[in-house]
Amino acid sequence: MQILPFYLVCDESGSMSGDIDVLNEALLALHNEISTNPTISDKTRFALIGFSDDAAELQQLVDLGEVSQLPKLEAGGFTSFGSAFRVLRSAIERDVPALKAEGHDVYRPVVFFLSDGVPTDGGWEAAHEALLGSAYRPHIIAFGIGTADRSVIGHVATFKAFMQQGDNVKPAEALKEFAGSLTRSIVRSASGGRAGEGMSLQVDDHVPGFTSVSLDKL
Amino acid sequence: MSGPVATAVADGRDVDLADLALDGIVGAGGQGRIHRLRGGSDLLYKEYLEPARVQAAALTELVQLRRGLDGTARGALDARSAWPLARVLAAGRCTGFLMRTAPDNMLWETGAGSRKPTELQYLLHPERPATAGVVRPTPKQRLVLVRAVVDLLAGLHRHGLVVGDLSQANVLWTVVPEPAVFLIDCDGIRRSGARPVLEQAETPDWGDPLSPFGSDATVDSDRYKAALVVGRVLAQQAYLAPGDPLVPLPGVLNDRQDAAVRRLWEQAAGPFGSRPELPAWSAALDARDVIPVPRLRPPPPRPVDTSLFDDRRAPRGSVRLPPTP
Repeated sequence: MQILPFYLVCDESGSMSGDIDVLNEALLALHNEISTNPTISDKTRFALIGFSDDAAELQQLVDLGEVSQLPKLEAGGFTSFGSAFRVLRSAIERDVPALKAEGHDVYRPVVFFLSDGVPTDGGWEAAHEALLGSAYRPHIIAFGIGTADRSVIGHVATFKAFMQQGDNVKPAEALKEFAGSLTRSIVRSASGGRAGEGMSLQVDDHVPGFTSVSLDKL
Repeated sequence: MSGPVATAVADGRDVDLADLALDGIVGAGGQGRIHRLRGGSDLLYKEYLEPARVQAAALTELVQLRRGLDGTARGALDARSAWPLARVLAAGRCTGFLMRTAPDNMLWETGAGSRKPTELQYLLHPERPATAGVVRPTPKQRLVLVRAVVDLLAGLHRHGLVVGDLSQANVLWTVVPEPAVFLIDCDGIRRSGARPVLEQAETPDWGDPLSPFGSDATVDSDRYKAALVVGRVLAQQAYLAPGDPLVPLPGVLNDRQDAAVRRLWEQAAGPFGSRPELPAWSAALDARDVIPVPRLRPPPPRPVDTSLFDDRRAPRGSVRLPPTP
């Protein structure tokens, strides 16, 4: 079986407290959409990593059709990007070989990264670089809301980056659109592709409430 | 439903987009969006995102084919498919078509309370907690459903049509109150050899690996895909393909059906052009048992009457030819 793993890496810092429930509800909707579609859930896996002072794998990589609950995101603490990238890297380096050992063909992992602020840890760039240096270097789609820094979001992403549009879009609306975009990406990536060819990563070009950010050039 | 839209649908005539009261989008795909119509109508409007690419003539052909059926056949088609009923035009350009909504009993309610179409895929995967809301068939009903899909496709082939993109997502089904199937995305159907309304993407895992025409719809690749439907539904195996061993779920087939299905399954793994025709599947899956016809023994040869070969005729005479000038 061909498998496309998705990692949602989500900011749980204190500043997210006003809107974290919106994101929890949006995760339920994502679960409802994917888990009720066996064709999609067969070919994709989903993991959830939350980060604030440090990072934790809240949901290890799983077939969403096989779980009946998801852990809740809870806001509190600072914004340690470095921990997020370290935990993400070790998860990917454990998960991809495990899927291969089960006989699957594994596609390059896809990371949806969401933050509402600037990193509060020094040295996060080194952890980010180590992640991109991994043998299983993931595609990263980064979303910034609230006080996130445009250039930081553009630096984190390797595939596409989006920033919430000014003050006229409420963070709650932006979070719903973020989750919707992630759901569409999972569904379209797993159901697209031509017969005989593999899956290919599909990500919205435009996400309502967000503007596209040009990526750092290497 | 009443007014110009109703009469146009009844006559298969084109409908003006301005006459449609759109009431929200209920679905979206790569090629178009599906709109509900206001006023409790059971019609939907499929709007193409790129009308400039639409082969309007292919759509006309589908609409007219339905119009040409007698009442019984048209009723049967309407009950089993979201067939294009009338084209929709805006400023003379075809922007989409009207079709009927899927029957209400072919939707199921998820744990979160949303309603989703009961796609063929739920017959190909075992039940999971998230899909427990789908009312599943008994083994006998499973057989009836497979036969219903095959009969539906056989009917289209009889009319010289090919389906092309047959997949886990474009056949809906129910067993409540009784087994029935419903074909959607019917605008991909076209006359064999003709161009479709829009070039169709083929669904992954549903391609014909041996077709020399790639993903183009042909009668034989339709037959291959019909074999995929039969094998995958009978075995509840989403990725089974001819060449793999077919193990139907227990209790679905009797011994005669089982032997007949296995023969055809083997044939379906053969070269392009040799896949079983749809009526062969219908016969194999038929509930009716067959009566073996006693083989008639030919009568023993009569003894040869050698006297018939005796030379009892007079010596043969000759005909005189006119002299050549």
